[in-house]
Amino acid sequence: MAQDKPRIILRTAGLANPRALKTYIEHAEGYTAIKKVLGGAMTREQLIEEVKASGLRGRGGAGFPTGLKWTFVPQSDTGPKYLICNNDESEPGTFKDREICTVNPHQVIEGMVLAAFAIRASKGYIYTRWEFQAEIGYLVEAIKEAYAAGFLGKNILGSGFDFDLDHYTGAGAYICGEETGLISSLEGKKGQPKVKPPFPAVSGYLGRPTIVNNTETLANVPWIVNHGAKEFRQYGTEKSPGSKLFSISGALVRPGVYEVPLGYPFERLIQEECGGYLPGRSLQALIPGGASAPLLTPEEVQGLTLDYEAMAARNTMLGSGAIMIIDDRQVLAELLKVTIEFFAHESCGQCTPCREGTGWLNNIMDGVLDGTAKPGNVELMRTVAKHMGGKTICALSDACAMPVTSYVQKFSGSLQAYLAQATAAGGHVK
Amino acid sequence: MSEASKGSQETVTFTLNDREITVPKGTTVMAAARQQDVYIPHFCWHPGLKIAGVCRFCLVKVDNRPKLEIACNLTATPGMKVSSVLPEVKEAHKWALEFHLVNHPLDCPICDQAGECKLQDYYMEVGKYKSEMDRPKVLKPKALEIGSELVLDTERCILCDRCVRFEEEVTKTGALGIFNRGDRAVIGTYPDKKIEHNYQDNLVDICPVGAFTSRDFRFKQRVWFLKEKPAVCPGCSTGCHVDVHAKPQVRTYFRLKPRESEVNGFWMCDKGRKTYKHMNQEQRLRFPLLTEASGVRRRSTVDEALAALAATMLKADKSEVALLVSAAYTCEEYAAFFEFFVRSLGVTNVYQWREPTEDREAFDGLLYRGDHNPNTRGLSEALKAVGLPGEVKDGFEALLRQAPKLVIALGPELAFQFPSLPAQLSRLEQLPFVSLWTIDGAAVSHVGLKHLLPMKGYAEKRGRFLNFAGKVGELADPFPAGSEDARDVVEVVAALSEILAHSL
Repeated sequence: MAQDKPRIILRTAGLANPRALKTYIEHAEGYTAIKKVLGGAMTREQLIEEVKASGLRGRGGAGFPTGLKWTFVPQSDTGPKYLICNNDESEPGTFKDREICTVNPHQVIEGMVLAAFAIRASKGYIYTRWEFQAEIGYLVEAIKEAYAAGFLGKNILGSGFDFDLDHYTGAGAYICGEETGLISSLEGKKGQPKVKPPFPAVSGYLGRPTIVNNTETLANVPWIVNHGAKEFRQYGTEKSPGSKLFSISGALVRPGVYEVPLGYPFERLIQEECGGYLPGRSLQALIPGGASAPLLTPEEVQGLTLDYEAMAARNTMLGSGAIMIIDDRQVLAELLKVTIEFFAHESCGQCTPCREGTGWLNNIMDGVLDGTAKPGNVELMRTVAKHMGGKTICALSDACAMPVTSYVQKFSGSLQAYLAQATAAGGHVK
Repeated sequence: MSEASKGSQETVTFTLNDREITVPKGTTVMAAARQQDVYIPHFCWHPGLKIAGVCRFCLVKVDNRPKLEIACNLTATPGMKVSSVLPEVKEAHKWALEFHLVNHPLDCPICDQAGECKLQDYYMEVGKYKSEMDRPKVLKPKALEIGSELVLDTERCILCDRCVRFEEEVTKTGALGIFNRGDRAVIGTYPDKKIEHNYQDNLVDICPVGAFTSRDFRFKQRVWFLKEKPAVCPGCSTGCHVDVHAKPQVRTYFRLKPRESEVNGFWMCDKGRKTYKHMNQEQRLRFPLLTEASGVRRRSTVDEALAALAATMLKADKSEVALLVSAAYTCEEYAAFFEFFVRSLGVTNVYQWREPTEDREAFDGLLYRGDHNPNTRGLSEALKAVGLPGEVKDGFEALLRQAPKLVIALGPELAFQFPSLPAQLSRLEQLPFVSLWTIDGAAVSHVGLKHLLPMKGYAEKRGRFLNFAGKVGELADPFPAGSEDARDVVEVVAALSEILAHSL
């Protein structure tokens, strides 16, 4: 058994000047993977096979197999292709890509060179949300260093392979984390997802084949090249191999970003990494994978492990690894309100069920908070949510519908009680 | 044979609602359904625009696929089994409608779209339930004067994006966008911009609800009182196929809408939309006027007017007679006219009447042409048929130089397309006897014109136009004439020839 807690991503964490190129090269096998691949030790096909064999799944939330995604680019197409690093990290509760940018940005860049080689892309972009001003600086600096060292640009390491990388700053919209919304935004348009098919791998940025991968996903690739798929699979579970960064927030002693193998026990993460709950607090509910993931009750959290399968078995999702501890002092009605308000605010508005559904739910929650909703409205939210699911171009509609369904299903009593109190008080409960 | 044309001949057979359908490879289920007259409810899809896939109304069930899919973006594949009528699909349609109605104002009683509104239609088809939405609706800007022909109500808008795509793809003006997000999203123009092109009313047509309304038609008539008949627009030589909407019982025309055809696709221009007004009472010449020997001009019956004209004709030598012919009449009218005057009576002085400022070759790239006559081509052919030069040339000045004793003039139908018309009519007043056959009521003010005959409008007669490319446009189903005295050229010529036959 390999070591208990691998360092695949945050390899330079804790070192002095962790994000410097020198640190990455000296302490984290920096840029050895591209030397290996561009030096001829691996063909494109072998690289894709290795990533497929590693079982690496997209870390942005959907968990789609990365190697498989790369194969969707039509190889017969000889025109320009693009690789985009989705660093828009916008799921509420998630802040792990930000940590990667802060601690180990070069590993993302190296991963991009490898991915670009695999899909024959000669141009790439890192797309970061506006709010990450400091991290944008780190990335731009790292790109500069990589260019200066010959790891980016024309004829990288004398291999004949060209790859240019630019940074692009978004305006901070949730929807620009959806890959086709991101592409629209990158094209200078309003950030709205595009109707599929065609999929980006066939017709993406500027109508050309484009692969969009999450920051953390790309950061895994150099390690897989250096250590092999087999060793990667020693971490995590059969269906969820490797490590994962979890962004943990809430009433804990040490909330933060932790890299642990997939399949890691939730309780152990809370106790060992996070130092347990703050004194006097206990778990009321758990959001295991960002604001769009269905809530779990304390009972459902029993025996929970942090992997795609365990989450699916509880009808929720690992998502981007954003774990939010809802302790007993939180008011669920208010939490649901801010959750829905977020999605209603961020819905791009093009698909009717999402545009109108998120707004309607938000409208109902206004009524729950100020006491003007009717008791039947709480159950109505579940019906509305049901018809918002699986009907739209992108998953934002589902992202709003899923938590709503779980709140109403599991915490209906709490919502009804709040509404009754608000109605009796003639306004917000204080 | 090229690859592309080979591809277009390949076909695909799939099943829609248990019915086998064969379509060219690459056809979407929605387009296939439309060809087969199977109606799948939709708002954003339009056969003349690219696919947006945003209304999420056209959901259908494909066998062995977990989720419902939108028919507009679903390419038919061999053996695919699609249903648009399963209970789960019906339920999805009902909810799609419900979402569209969440923030839609229920102002149908004052909305021009009522009666031809897709929301109303679908409510009757898949709805008929009590809405569960009991919260206050989102309020948005209303009655925005967004273009010279348009008024926009963003509250009624269901954000189907058709107008935005029309602006991008058809007129390529890109004047419209969707601003803001979520349920605050509104259609609008960019700051300080307005929609200024000649195709604005198409936005009213493609708007499935009452968000875009026509300034011209707004609040004039409830659409269910209108009767529509097919015709061909006389506004230019493109000859767009149209439907004329009128209320025949009160002899009033209200609007034109484009009718899908290979000539004009789905569209027509705003200029063309105005080609109903001249047929309404207040603008048209409603009865004959003749000037007696005493110089007194009076209203007459049609019979009197024709008898007077015949009498004048009998007194004139054919060399003193001239024909002045505009290009607004049907091929059948020209044939009868020239057969009678040229072939039978031997008149050889034939002049074409054209707007001197016209730029006949002008074309806006979409539909509107610089030749503002519907049948220039038909006139040419008719002239050639009687052995006269068919060359298109303004003969107005030449006619004046000849100063004939009797002029029979077929006036232009659309005065607004003939800016020089008032001046030309004034000059015709100088001639001894002009018999002007026209629908244009403004001719009345030219008191020197000795003889005026009221004509039918294009929507009131049968016949054919030949457009700029020689394509036939049929006028096959006329409205009753807007005035009882109005005649078409064929009728006038027949009556004249009868009178002359008796006189000779």
